[in-house]
Amino acid sequence: MVDHSLPGKISEKAPKVWRMTELISDLIGIIILAVIFFLDAYFDWVYWIGWILIALTIVLVLGSIWGVIEPDLLYKSWYFKVDEEFFQIKKGIWKEQWVTIPMTKIQGVSTTQGPILRRYQLRSITVETMGSSYSIPALEELVAYELRDNIAEYAKIKEVEQT
Amino acid sequence: MRYHPLTILYQIYQLIRNSIILALLLFVWKRGSDFWLFEYGRYIFVLSVLYQFLHIFFNWWTRKYEVKNQSFYLESGVWTKKNQTIPFSKVQNVRREKSFFHALLGLTSLTFETAMDGDDDSIVFEVLTKEQAAQLIDLVEVGEEKVEIAEEKVVEESSGVVKEMVDEDNELDNRTIHFQSSNKDLIKASFTSLSFLALIPILSGLYENLQPFLPDDEKVQGMLEKILNNQWFLLTVLILAVMISVVVGMLRTMIRYGKFEISSNDTHIFIQRGVLEETYFSIEKKKVQALEVKQTMLKRVFGLAEVKLISTAKTSDDGVEVDVNSLYPFLPIDKAMQLVSQILPSYTLSTREMQKLPKMSLWMRIIRPSWLWIGTFIGLYFFKPSLFGVEEAWWIIAILVFIWLNASSVLDYYHTSFGVDKDQFQFRNGGFSTRLFISKRSKIIELTVSRNWLQRKWGMGSISTTNRSTPVHVETIDDLPQAFIKQFHQWYYERQKYVQYDRNESKRLEIWQLLDVEK
Repeated sequence: MVDHSLPGKISEKAPKVWRMTELISDLIGIIILAVIFFLDAYFDWVYWIGWILIALTIVLVLGSIWGVIEPDLLYKSWYFKVDEEFFQIKKGIWKEQWVTIPMTKIQGVSTTQGPILRRYQLRSITVETMGSSYSIPALEELVAYELRDNIAEYAKIKEVEQT
Repeated sequence: MRYHPLTILYQIYQLIRNSIILALLLFVWKRGSDFWLFEYGRYIFVLSVLYQFLHIFFNWWTRKYEVKNQSFYLESGVWTKKNQTIPFSKVQNVRREKSFFHALLGLTSLTFETAMDGDDDSIVFEVLTKEQAAQLIDLVEVGEEKVEIAEEKVVEESSGVVKEMVDEDNELDNRTIHFQSSNKDLIKASFTSLSFLALIPILSGLYENLQPFLPDDEKVQGMLEKILNNQWFLLTVLILAVMISVVVGMLRTMIRYGKFEISSNDTHIFIQRGVLEETYFSIEKKKVQALEVKQTMLKRVFGLAEVKLISTAKTSDDGVEVDVNSLYPFLPIDKAMQLVSQILPSYTLSTREMQKLPKMSLWMRIIRPSWLWIGTFIGLYFFKPSLFGVEEAWWIIAILVFIWLNASSVLDYYHTSFGVDKDQFQFRNGGFSTRLFISKRSKIIELTVSRNWLQRKWGMGSISTTNRSTPVHVETIDDLPQAFIKQFHQWYYERQKYVQYDRNESKRLEIWQLLDVEK
């Protein structure tokens, strides 16, 4: 029996990063909404625009509440494993997804870092296959580099086509 | 070497074909119009046709190809030069098409498709003589094997046994013909495809499109009224129309599927078809990624099926209406199964080993909210269209759609079966039309197991497999029992034991090592 557990965990700082991203996008959302609310009051738009704006506000509030809870749950659900044979990730709160990709089918691997990830000295890894791409969202920089180099090394091997 | 000079003529023919409607519109129908769009359109049209006309000549002059060292060397570009080298081994499949133009001049066109991404992923010869085409096909199709044999030959030559090798060389071309369409097949085909019914929308569409250009709308209208008033005349016209559409439909089927021939040798599969417009398609057996057996409701009634080879070949190209990957689309089901086992012996088709879904999955399917229905419902609720003067038509439609979708998912439950046999797996699913999907473990490039909240509670999950194709082919089966998912996962892990690695050749991997992308 092959060991089916995925030991890899992403950085503990991941929830913080996600909350930060969420906070920023919430702030942008609030600013945009406020501007539209102001314009609505100023120009006296049609009445149903007001209704849409209230609906949007409710969505935004609910979204930001979820944005506080979600990161911890998502972090708990995140696992990965990289060995010579397979690249595997498992994640998802409501819908759990477990992706298995043979190393030989990987076409490219890269690391990326945005401003928020940089603040926490993290990097994300993106693996590309013929049809799609998958990311491990937050890894300690050194871990990320090592993992990327490993994947690159394992993925270089080519398979013989069989009938 | 330059391409065949008649390429110029062919491209001019295409240019005329593509611009004739616009030309008629600008210079004939709207001749008198001084609307700015037509006014300036005329100048732009003339200039662009002139440019394209010159481009065809320069293009032909600058484009060159060479075949040597088991590779194609291509040179192209009027303004910027571009050189390409494509080894034969990268060719995934060969397609030869003879359009009416080619048939007229006794020529043919040839396309070698590769599995590279991007625009320049195929080598196209728009015009070739038949001999040239046959020569090129021979070179590429035997490609890899011939190299090996040629190498052996050198060795053998030194030991003095050459004759045997020549015999073997001939053996490579030994093709077995597995299927040839008969007239009976064609009649069956034209009925099950219902292609004669296609004439009705085409004609009405044509009428609608032509209406603005027809001379006198009232005259036509008057004629129609006269026809409608005379019942006998109407009946005759109707019968005549049906007869014409049946004949046209049969002709269409004949032109597309006539002279259908499927053959194979040890390494390749060859599909040839068409009467006036011929198509030839060949693919290496090991480049077939999966098989799909499709049956629409009508085909199930007639006991027919369509077998498709899933590969990286492009399914639709301009001018070709029929899927090149499809083996004959109207094969009797047992004949289809037999054919597959003959041309792809490594695939074993048996439905005996397959498992069925547990009862729970049926509930899951019924409970699962149908986004399609919710969408239709919201749409209908807002617009409330009335049909045939019935005000309440919208909720009748909503109920009908609901019944249709549910019936489809219940049928899907009964049709779904799945199984794993050695290195092969099969899925069957589908509501009103069913499909059987068969592939190999080594051909799955990605496996995703997903379980939503309810599926986790009930011990079920969904499996998605990805195969190479253009674009990739994803196959999903919902609500499988946990035990099978575990078995499938385990089976997929074991691929490593059976896969052979090519240690000599390593993959070109795009690693942006130094280029850490900052977002």
